[in-house]
Amino acid sequence: MERYLTCGAPEHCLSRRSLLAGMLGAGAGLTHVAGLSHFIQPALAADLAAQQKRVLIFFMAGGLSQLESWDPKPNTDTGGPFRAIPTSVPGTHICELLPFTAQQMHRLCLVRGVNTAEDDHGKGAVFMETGRRDSPAQRYPALGSVVSRLVAPPTSALPGYVHIQPGGGGVNKADAAFLGPKFASITIGNGQPPANLLRPGDLTPAADQQRNDVRLKANQRFTARRRTAETEAYGASYDQARQLVERADVFDVTKESAQDQERYGSHDFGRHCLLARRLLEQGLTCVKVTHTNYDSHSENFDFHIEQLGEFDRPFATLIDDLAQRGMLDSTLVIVMSEFGRTPKINHLFGRDHWSKAWSVMLAGCGLQKGAVIGKTNENGTAVVDREVDARHLFHTYLRAVGTDGTANYPGLNRPIPIGDPAGEAIEELLA
Amino acid sequence: MRHNGGSAYLTLVRLRDPTVLGRGRTAMKSSLPAQNRVRWLAAMLARLLPFVPALVCSADEAPRPAPPAAAPLHELVDQQIGAALASKGIAPAARAGDAEFLRRVYLDLTGSIPTLGEAKAFLDDKSPIKRQQLVDRLLNSPEYARQMQRVFDVVLMERRPAQHVGQAPWEEYLRNAFAANKPWDALVREILAADGADPNLRPAARFYLDRGGEPNLLARDVGRLFLGRDMQCAQCHDHPLVATYLQTDYYGLLAFFNRSFLFTPKTEPKAVVFAEKAEGDVAFKSVFVANATDQPARPHLPGEKEADEPQFEKGQEYAVAPADDVRPIPKYSRRSQLPVVLPRGENVAFRRNIANRLWALMMGRGLVHPLDMQHDANPPSHPALLDLLGERFAVMGFDIKAFLRELALSETYQRSSELPPGVEALAAEAFAVAPLKPLSAEQLGLAALQATGITDVYRASLGPTLNEATLHEKVAANLPGFVGVFAGQAGQPEQDFQSTLEQTLFMANGGVLRSWIAPQAGNLVDRLNRVTEPAAVAEQLYLCVLSRLPTAEEAAEFTACLQARAQDRPAAIQEWIWALLASDEFRFNH
Repeated sequence: MERYLTCGAPEHCLSRRSLLAGMLGAGAGLTHVAGLSHFIQPALAADLAAQQKRVLIFFMAGGLSQLESWDPKPNTDTGGPFRAIPTSVPGTHICELLPFTAQQMHRLCLVRGVNTAEDDHGKGAVFMETGRRDSPAQRYPALGSVVSRLVAPPTSALPGYVHIQPGGGGVNKADAAFLGPKFASITIGNGQPPANLLRPGDLTPAADQQRNDVRLKANQRFTARRRTAETEAYGASYDQARQLVERADVFDVTKESAQDQERYGSHDFGRHCLLARRLLEQGLTCVKVTHTNYDSHSENFDFHIEQLGEFDRPFATLIDDLAQRGMLDSTLVIVMSEFGRTPKINHLFGRDHWSKAWSVMLAGCGLQKGAVIGKTNENGTAVVDREVDARHLFHTYLRAVGTDGTANYPGLNRPIPIGDPAGEAIEELLA
Repeated sequence: MRHNGGSAYLTLVRLRDPTVLGRGRTAMKSSLPAQNRVRWLAAMLARLLPFVPALVCSADEAPRPAPPAAAPLHELVDQQIGAALASKGIAPAARAGDAEFLRRVYLDLTGSIPTLGEAKAFLDDKSPIKRQQLVDRLLNSPEYARQMQRVFDVVLMERRPAQHVGQAPWEEYLRNAFAANKPWDALVREILAADGADPNLRPAARFYLDRGGEPNLLARDVGRLFLGRDMQCAQCHDHPLVATYLQTDYYGLLAFFNRSFLFTPKTEPKAVVFAEKAEGDVAFKSVFVANATDQPARPHLPGEKEADEPQFEKGQEYAVAPADDVRPIPKYSRRSQLPVVLPRGENVAFRRNIANRLWALMMGRGLVHPLDMQHDANPPSHPALLDLLGERFAVMGFDIKAFLRELALSETYQRSSELPPGVEALAAEAFAVAPLKPLSAEQLGLAALQATGITDVYRASLGPTLNEATLHEKVAANLPGFVGVFAGQAGQPEQDFQSTLEQTLFMANGGVLRSWIAPQAGNLVDRLNRVTEPAAVAEQLYLCVLSRLPTAEEAAEFTACLQARAQDRPAAIQEWIWALLASDEFRFNH
């Protein structure tokens, strides 16, 4: 069995080589290292930053109807009242509830043959977000945590994975599973910054500096003959926190121009999209934005008018902005739900949970622009071409951000494949 | 070696004759009059003795041949670790100083750091056996039971939220077990036998109930936590690299549980119990083999044979037949075989697992590491030592206190965490230098409360009603903030050390810690503000927070700081308290 050095945290990867250089008996697990007084955290070079991959996830909580969005079936028994409209890609139509998005279609791609066979909200979300079916004996990390672990620059002061949602904030440790809480999502509830980010009023910057100097001096003494991966990690997290405290306005969307705030809209979701852009621009690796209220068991059409009416413009604006800024080529955008909604319209004019034939939207990071992969039948009740599930999608996400989902996680003390070995990437989507 | 009461015989019986155990301790007790029981046990003992010279208990009542190794276990530990070091030409670290040992053993055995008075008393004590005396005092303190309760709560439940059994009764159950020094095998037997129906043992059923009775989860966690084997990957196929991780063994464990389910009485929806059906079989096939046929599996421990199961005629399988709102009771219970066959002294995986886990608790990492990866491809760093520890722990009747005592008395445990001069690095698995063990969420909170003097304020407020329980009640109210931020994710094993942004911001800017450092009558900063002599302030500050005296250099720096900041002396003192609390030295048990 392979023995891993130190605690496997990525911030050690850079220094590990220099550690080993001075070591006899390489291959032994290190605990104590002394005499290495120069641990240089290499700054990220500008070109490295430009290649830095990012992920932006829109989670349409409750289950977006594919028929009212990406895969309309007008004039069929299941189609509902809305029309399909042409998009910027000739021949591709989407629901008329997404007119702004339709104009971005040449930058997007649609996967219309999704069959996840999981109609439970919780299990559906786990399958879609982790790329593995929910299993009581083993939980896998969510995409954002995986990206935080494998793609985010280890030296960044910014957290790797931020989740913007209406409601409360906090840290969702479950997201990270065995990767550990360092890679959990930090939730920005209604635009509020992470807890304790702001220096308390009675702590002046000068006093903060003085006490920190005392801490550093104490650490210097303690670690002179006791330096370990753990003390390095602990010290680095204080450095990270101090840098982030100085950059607390990263989370403050009101710092964006009035014009941009107007373009994105004055509602919560518009502000959340603008905050997502701000965070991505500042170098954050994975942002997930949750838009709620799609679980339309009754009044499906009214709900989708309202929800997609809110979603369409800021989403399309964000896609356009990312493209204009040259960021879309390095940013993977995903619009996903737990599942889709039943083609059959129930007696309350609702649609129920439906995972047999639904759609996921992808964009960016070199994925085929304007592509439509997979197909459902005439009234949307079954996949008839290129059926995929969450495992294929997960492998595709990973490939798009330059990670091999068939490999094992690095730095764990046991072999665990990153993506489900039973799935594979959707090759024709990858450039 | 000590035993509680009359359990010595039974320990021996359990060790050598598992068939006796199937009838249970209660069965033996109830079916034999008291005087006959003694005679019966003596006869049993005599019958067994010739076969078990190496595993004989040290019970006073029993005739005992000379033990195979007369040396105390801690000396054997040091011999084996020392021999391995010598063979590799590694010089271990020096012996830890008194202060280093003091803080370490307090954190390990009580979960917190010593008070100012306790630290002073120990450092001033001139007795040559003061370390041993301290270990014995701490092991017999109520704080020990509470600390072990916390440790084993996390080991067994991995911070899952309470569902069917409250956290409080579960903690009380564990604490009572460790206070009474219940042998590990007895504790495990109780947990694996519990179904939640007996009110006295309902907390023990939490292991099953709060995992939802889910067979795959139970198979995995019984393997991991009681046998040291994570067989998760064998759910779908034999392990490609580990010859002893077989799919049949995973399903053998699963088969103890596949008939079990949570039963909720309609009249008492909260009285959920773990019930069982009389039917239901387990079959599996490998995902690696094309067109594989189903292989049946009956209950068995990994590597052991399937036992024969009694067969009943159709319609005769139940003692209580299933019916609406009736908990069925099968005549033959698969699950109840598990507490019979698993927690036994001669079960090598069982005894090695717990020996390895207790070793890791004290020494910072297992002889097999990770703790649930005991298999051929991941050999122990010291194979003979692990064998010895497992055997000796079984012979000791799984006496946890006695075992931890031996570990604490070893020189291996008592090394300094400072590398010897001239040595640049030492491999962790050599146990040549004391490790830096990250404090658990609870240890960190408790130590910070003690360091800042908040615990002292509570002590004073309790006056004559002060005892461990009353003090705990006050202190515990402060812990959820720390635990929420520093504890790992529920349902995941404790991970290797990580430091998160949330945690560091909590330390740096959080209101909880700031309120403890702000002056209030009797807390540390308040007491230090009343001391005029800077050297005396420094001494008390370092003793309270770091459980040691300041070095001359540190004292000089501190004094210079106080002199320079005469105008805002209290603020300067608060800054120093924070800096020491946020330091590496505080964050780790070193």
